[in-house]
Amino acid sequence: MIEVEHLSKTYGATPAIADITFSVEKGEILGFLGPNGAGKTTTMRILTGYLPATSGTARVAGFDVHENSLAVRQRIGYLPETPPLYTEMTVEGFLYFVARIKGVAVGDRANRVQTALTRCNLLEKRHTLIRKLSKGFRQRVGLAQAIVHDPPVIILDEPTVGLDPRQIIDVRNLIKSLAGDHTIILSTHILPEVSMTCSRVAIINKGRVVATNTPDRLIEELTGGNGYELEVEGDFAAVKEPLSNLAGVKSVEAILSETGKPNVADHLPENHFKIRLVSQPGADDGRAIASTIVGAGLGLFEMRRTTVSLEDVFLELTMEDVAVSAASGGDADADPDADADVPDQPNEMQISEPASGGEAA
Amino acid sequence: MQIILSNILAIYRRELQSYFASPFAYAIAAIFWLLSGFFFVIILLGPDGLLVQIAQRDQAGITEPPIDVPYQFLSIFLNLLGSLALFLLPMLSMGLYSEERKRGTLELLATSPVTNWAVAVGKLLGVLTFFITIVLPIMGFEAIAFSASNPPASFNVLLLGHLGLILMAAAVLSLGMFISSLTDSTILAAILTFALTMLLWITDLIANGVGGSLGEAIGHLSLIKHYSDLSRGVFNSSSLVLFASYTFLGLFLTAQSVEAFRFQRS
Repeated sequence: MIEVEHLSKTYGATPAIADITFSVEKGEILGFLGPNGAGKTTTMRILTGYLPATSGTARVAGFDVHENSLAVRQRIGYLPETPPLYTEMTVEGFLYFVARIKGVAVGDRANRVQTALTRCNLLEKRHTLIRKLSKGFRQRVGLAQAIVHDPPVIILDEPTVGLDPRQIIDVRNLIKSLAGDHTIILSTHILPEVSMTCSRVAIINKGRVVATNTPDRLIEELTGGNGYELEVEGDFAAVKEPLSNLAGVKSVEAILSETGKPNVADHLPENHFKIRLVSQPGADDGRAIASTIVGAGLGLFEMRRTTVSLEDVFLELTMEDVAVSAASGGDADADPDADADVPDQPNEMQISEPASGGEAA
Repeated sequence: MQIILSNILAIYRRELQSYFASPFAYAIAAIFWLLSGFFFVIILLGPDGLLVQIAQRDQAGITEPPIDVPYQFLSIFLNLLGSLALFLLPMLSMGLYSEERKRGTLELLATSPVTNWAVAVGKLLGVLTFFITIVLPIMGFEAIAFSASNPPASFNVLLLGHLGLILMAAAVLSLGMFISSLTDSTILAAILTFALTMLLWITDLIANGVGGSLGEAIGHLSLIKHYSDLSRGVFNSSSLVLFASYTFLGLFLTAQSVEAFRFQRS
């Protein structure tokens, strides 16, 4: 539905995006994830035909966004960062206007406006002037404006920014309900949002796509997945080997402070320490782990499942410069909390997206 | 074609709606009505007004040449309306695009299947319609005055005079719309538009100063010359061509500048 190939955009001498390639299949929700200024908005603006690209091509529903701009514009709904609203109009009047300029046939307009109002929970505010609406409602009017003509492609630039938690949930549910017959791209820097709503994630940093995959697989491939945190009494050396040898365990380490003693902040009793254990992808060896520890004669006081979040992946991918400069500065990272399993070469984890883009789960 | 027309209509309706929903537009209209009504009374009925002058002339026994009072009045009053409009028009055109830029709604228009031309034409028609609704009540004053006049007012002069006013307004609004598309600042757009119309207004004087065939050429660009021709009932197709050209130029430049805005924006 959306194919982007080698897209670049430079403002003067500054590249905003460089050689971006990705594609979105029909019915997918692609989450654009990246720090501020990474190029999310620029990419979206190029897709909507608002900005021309410096080089590369982008096609929406088979139409080139530059050559066939009008055809593309007919097929997309776009919510920019600040919702474009005529504040002196009523909600309903505004949606009628948008329906008109988006080319909705006269007979369909009432129906479409009604649907958009219902979907965005705006029915009670339909006759209110937009000027009098709160930020959250304005955002919803912005969303309604993007879907009023029932476009096959919907592009949302930070759709949940400025909403209260209840509204955020509503908007996420709305976006999910739109998937299937609509193809959606949404950008955000709120990480849980992506894992909650998107079927696929593209992480952008400094104008480049550093990874694309489903949220789950991204986590799995980049951090090794989930594990356990254990509080154990006794001698760590006695269990280190047996635990590492378990089939489902990828790595084992004791969580110690820099002095080699258990962290004071953990308030552990004498002779207690904590272990962090990372499982192999897909494995869940809780039973074996517990029996290994108990079998070695150590006391097991706490066993807690830990899950790696997309946040860890994101930080890993977008903070690489910080990490590299810290390491080269001689400040060898002795933090024992560091996840031993994270690959240290950023290039290794670039998952290049095949042109077909068909690997979506 | 039909799509383009319906787009123009959509933009036109929205534009008009926003004028009628805006207290600012009503304030401008009120001031315009107040001033034009005031001058109407002064010119016609004031101590040095037209009627007093005629009465004095009659008393002095001068009857030749006969004076066509409605004609005299109309040409003075229309010139005055033209000058008032010079202040009014930049205020009407200033927000046409700068407001859209400021509110980000230009992004909505630019990502909708609407051409820049359709947007510009729709906006111009909208603001022109609003101007005409401002002028209509003033034509009411005239109708009342002329209904009692003897000799009766010439219909041609009336028609041409007001047509001239509207055509001139279209030209100024169109250029003002272009200036408005260049900036985010509404006030700056108003000031620049005012300066430009001022310049076009006094081109006559500049032309006279330059003299020669160059002066004559510059003189033809003058808004005031063509407007006063029309307001005196002198029909000249070159006046129509000039106003139409200014209007078209404004539309063209607006469409181009919006396109350029999208290309250069960072």
